[in-house]
Amino acid sequence: MPLNPDVLWYKDAIIYQVHVRTFHDSNGDGIGDFQGLEAKLDYLQELGINTIWLMPFFPSPLRDDGYDIADYQNVHPSYGTLEDFRKFLESAHDRGIRIIIELVANHTSDQHPWFQESRSSQDNPRRDWYVWSDTDTRYKDTRIIFLDTEKSNWAWDPVSKSFYWHRFFSHQPDLNYDNPAVREQMWEVMKFWLDMGVDGFRLDAVPYLVEREGTNCENLPETHLVLKELRRKLDENSPGRMLLAEANQWPADLRPYFGDGDEFHMAFHFPLMPRMFMGLKLEDRKPITEILQQTPEIPPICQWSLFLRNHDELTLEMVTDVERDYMYDSYAVSKMMRLNLGIRRRLAPLLDNDRRRIELMNGMLMSLPGTPIIYYGDEIGMGDNINLGDRNGVRTPMQWNGETNAGFSTAPPEHLYAPLIQDPVYGYQAVNVLRQKASEHSLFNWMQRILAVRRSTGAFGRGAIEFLYPANHRILAYVRRLGNETILVVNNLSSSAQAVELNLRGYKGNIPIEMFGRNMFPRVGDLPYLLTMGPYQFYWFRLRRL
Amino acid sequence: MRDLIISELTQALHDIARSFAHFLPRFIVMLILAILGWVIAYVVKAVLRSILRLIKFDKLSEKAGASQLLAKAALPSTTEVLSRFVFWVAWLGFILLGVSVLGILGLQDEIARFFLFLPRLFVALFILFVGLLAASFFSRAALLAAVNANMPSPKVLSLAVRSIIIVFVLSVVFEELGLAEQTMLVAFGIAFGALMLGLAIAFGIGGRDLARGFLEKQVVRSKKQENEDELSPL
Amino acid sequence: MAEESFLTDDFLRQLINVGEVDILVGLPTHNNAKTVGSVVHAIQSGILSGFPRERAVIINADGGSRDGTPDLVTGVSIDDMRPASKLYALRTLHSITTKYGSSPASGVAFRTILAAAELLRAKACVVLSPESANIEPAWLSKLLQPVYRDGFDLVTPMYRRHKFEGLLITNLLYPMTRALYGKRIYEAYAPEFGFSGRLGTQFLGQDVWTDGTDGAGVELRFTLAAITGKFPICQSFLGEKVHVERSSADLVPALRQTVGTLFAALDRDFPVWGAVTGCEPVPSNGTDQEVLLEPLRVNRKRLREMFSSGVAELESVFQSILSPSTLAELQRISRLGEDECRYSAELWVRTIYEFAASYQKSVISRDHIIQALAPLFRGRAFTFLTEHRNASADEVERSIEDLCLEFERLKPYLLEIWKPRE
Repeated sequence: MPLNPDVLWYKDAIIYQVHVRTFHDSNGDGIGDFQGLEAKLDYLQELGINTIWLMPFFPSPLRDDGYDIADYQNVHPSYGTLEDFRKFLESAHDRGIRIIIELVANHTSDQHPWFQESRSSQDNPRRDWYVWSDTDTRYKDTRIIFLDTEKSNWAWDPVSKSFYWHRFFSHQPDLNYDNPAVREQMWEVMKFWLDMGVDGFRLDAVPYLVEREGTNCENLPETHLVLKELRRKLDENSPGRMLLAEANQWPADLRPYFGDGDEFHMAFHFPLMPRMFMGLKLEDRKPITEILQQTPEIPPICQWSLFLRNHDELTLEMVTDVERDYMYDSYAVSKMMRLNLGIRRRLAPLLDNDRRRIELMNGMLMSLPGTPIIYYGDEIGMGDNINLGDRNGVRTPMQWNGETNAGFSTAPPEHLYAPLIQDPVYGYQAVNVLRQKASEHSLFNWMQRILAVRRSTGAFGRGAIEFLYPANHRILAYVRRLGNETILVVNNLSSSAQAVELNLRGYKGNIPIEMFGRNMFPRVGDLPYLLTMGPYQFYWFRLRRL
Repeated sequence: MRDLIISELTQALHDIARSFAHFLPRFIVMLILAILGWVIAYVVKAVLRSILRLIKFDKLSEKAGASQLLAKAALPSTTEVLSRFVFWVAWLGFILLGVSVLGILGLQDEIARFFLFLPRLFVALFILFVGLLAASFFSRAALLAAVNANMPSPKVLSLAVRSIIIVFVLSVVFEELGLAEQTMLVAFGIAFGALMLGLAIAFGIGGRDLARGFLEKQVVRSKKQENEDELSPL
Repeated sequence: MAEESFLTDDFLRQLINVGEVDILVGLPTHNNAKTVGSVVHAIQSGILSGFPRERAVIINADGGSRDGTPDLVTGVSIDDMRPASKLYALRTLHSITTKYGSSPASGVAFRTILAAAELLRAKACVVLSPESANIEPAWLSKLLQPVYRDGFDLVTPMYRRHKFEGLLITNLLYPMTRALYGKRIYEAYAPEFGFSGRLGTQFLGQDVWTDGTDGAGVELRFTLAAITGKFPICQSFLGEKVHVERSSADLVPALRQTVGTLFAALDRDFPVWGAVTGCEPVPSNGTDQEVLLEPLRVNRKRLREMFSSGVAELESVFQSILSPSTLAELQRISRLGEDECRYSAELWVRTIYEFAASYQKSVISRDHIIQALAPLFRGRAFTFLTEHRNASADEVERSIEDLCLEFERLKPYLLEIWKPRE
């Protein structure tokens, strides 16, 4: 199956986020690798996704799950070789699946040769590649991101006897983007992968590239200049590739990252995600509609990226204190589930393994404006293990079947990079791909169906959105429009049955055709359109005028 | 001569006997009717008394003020009075019926007229009773309203209301009975005027909120001084 | 027989949109545009600060206002259709209004609020007065927390009052309710109170709505129903009682609402209060009732005059109501001058009890009995004012306590003259 030739392919993308280590082990060492991943491309194609976002797989001491990079142009030996990766890339493209990789631009591991050189002496040519200081008092107004582990953004280096700047773990020193050499080098890295055929980059931690005294060192104009430069070179060198920004900011602060269509193509809509969970618990659409009302318009070629969960904690940075307390009390009663102003749980456990809620959240994910991202394992409803420390509880091996090691690896179980989920509810005997494929009503099959419906129209990915505000605040309803296609989406956020009257006066005369069963519903007339909905139910209607 | 007297006497005796014989059966019938009537009247009285007791007629008449009147006249309770009255009327009716059987001319017409008169008598009594009730209620309402609104001489007002209503009731009663119609015409004129006044008062009582609001704006401005010193009871 | 529903279709539709709530605030209004603005803003603040996570709704039962009162009430709703609001709220807050009639009737308004509470399955409800311009957001917590968190079913308020305000409550309603029903509730008939959905539903089902009146005084019935139904009751101190402009002509309607309702309830509740002995205190939150002592200009002379002229003029009426000895005593004191005239506590209690008994027997029209009480109340008010002209707060409290004990002491007398149902 050929790749979508459209230069705006990312607007029609359905992204599957996976770490190669977690997916499938081909050589029996207990760690997933590219050959294993390649072997499972058929599964992904069957599921219906068309883009894979790979989490960092470069060589790394793995003190931050690969986000601490020691070599930008190679593959960590546990996952295979560059050749393995190249072959995997080709296989994916053959199936019409694009590949996005991570580029951790803001910092490297302290084991990276660059840092080893930089710290060795004050005169080293790479000294200026990182941000050094004799005191730890500069940039005082900057917040600490990993609150649970770090006490300061400065770390003392005993080798060069000075402080270095790090926004994340202390073993991840920040690169100095005021240095043109750094910028040049980063472009070289990008070019390396682009030439190999990679379709896009997710740039990690972009708000923090540049620091300036007297600011909070986030989202500075200088940072944007750096990014625009990278984009310009990308467009010149490899048009049709995509840059995705990871910037955990309020929508108004995210807007600059799109520039005038000359910076990032896509960005994660971080503030929306916790509010979807909040709206569900409150049984009130207000948090969701308000954040989307506050979301600014973005350039026509740009696209939001939506997600329910990812490899990190469910971040509650971009909510108020009242909201955060509410989310903690609702979703993370046990303090162990809380981390760094977030909640480290997978989708299914967060929703009490309630199938209806899982479907509803996925339904919203697939119908709100933006490109959806599915976190690996959430398509079969995998569980988590919060005892695994940091965020590793949501990064356990993929569960393929009920056999040894869940079919993930042939290695002895104690060699696996992380233990399997084994509890009676989410354990691999109960939750695995093999069983779900065999069962017609499994979550996997349902995900397949919804992805198929999603792909049947471009209105979800590219269309405009108009919110309806029915007086029943438990109903979230909106209309997606692209050209002649009009789709009405109605979601019941409540755990109880609801009646709602929708003002569809502008759509009078249309026949709503429910998109899953393709059954007709009564035609829209003059009166408000009455719908009765079961708990957590949602409707997608194609409005047809005949 | 003696034979003539004897024959005349005999004739007279015969006549008397004949008219007696003619009269006797009717007399017997009359007696029968009288006795029957007594029985029936007694039954009616008993039934009526039970009914009146059931609807607590005594209570009602207490409210009408009728009981007080009767007590002053050293009469028994209204239930008793009414039951006995009905008894006598019923029995009298039967007796008169019997008398009419006797066939005495002239009397029959009178009796017939009496029977025609009866229903109107009952109606008149009923109107009187209701009227007394109404008079008592409204006069008391007027009294209370006047006292609470601090109007001067409330007793006089109350009495006026009672009199007017009674006069009106009486005029209707008399008209019903067909007595002294001419006088009643004049009295009615007076009563009608009085009725209007009564209605005005009743309307005032019923719409006193509105009236008060209206009056307050007109009159109470001057009385504002007084009202400033009032406490709120709640 | 199918009755016309007293809930309009439009109101029901609005209720469907609100859905289940945890907290319901009822606000009956009629032409209150001057004061209702600050009241609803206080309600909004009270909900956002005291119950930020709870689902709440404001139900406005309006009796045909012409001054835009309903719009002021609905204006404080918080939802995503009006994103310009500067307030931060976790949830939608609905504020809806319904017109229950074209003239004010507090009974119908209350019934509407109760119906809404039942349909929305509200756990805790509160009724507030649109005239309480001094309401604070904390009042909501004070009236709702005991119901919502502590399991009470009724929360009556306590106020800071002037020692001479509310004499009908302090000299009649409070002592009598206390003596007969056995609970020390200061404000059994108040414009603001909190209650549980459970109590509301139970009261809604009772047959108090069809007695022909527009239900004035039904709030008192509500309190009494809570007592007779053995629901846990507590009291919360709120603040100062707002003075509404009143005139002397308001006494009779006030009597109807309070005394009339109480007497009517006595008839029905006889099995309960007939058996009660002694009285229990009711748990209170916050300070006790406070008494303000600043001098107040009152026309005592007029009170005494109306009392004595009333006694004189209404002799015929009183003869039907009072016992001969009580009437004679009243006539005696009414002829005394201002300095000697004293309507003692004992005489007052006997008066009230005889009135209650006569009311029960309906010796004359019941409404007339209530009206006849007005001049006697004035006499009692005169005495109270005179005796406590220079009294301190403690003295006033003690005096009222003595009055309560007098009511309790003479309770057997009431039972004696009461005519039990056959």
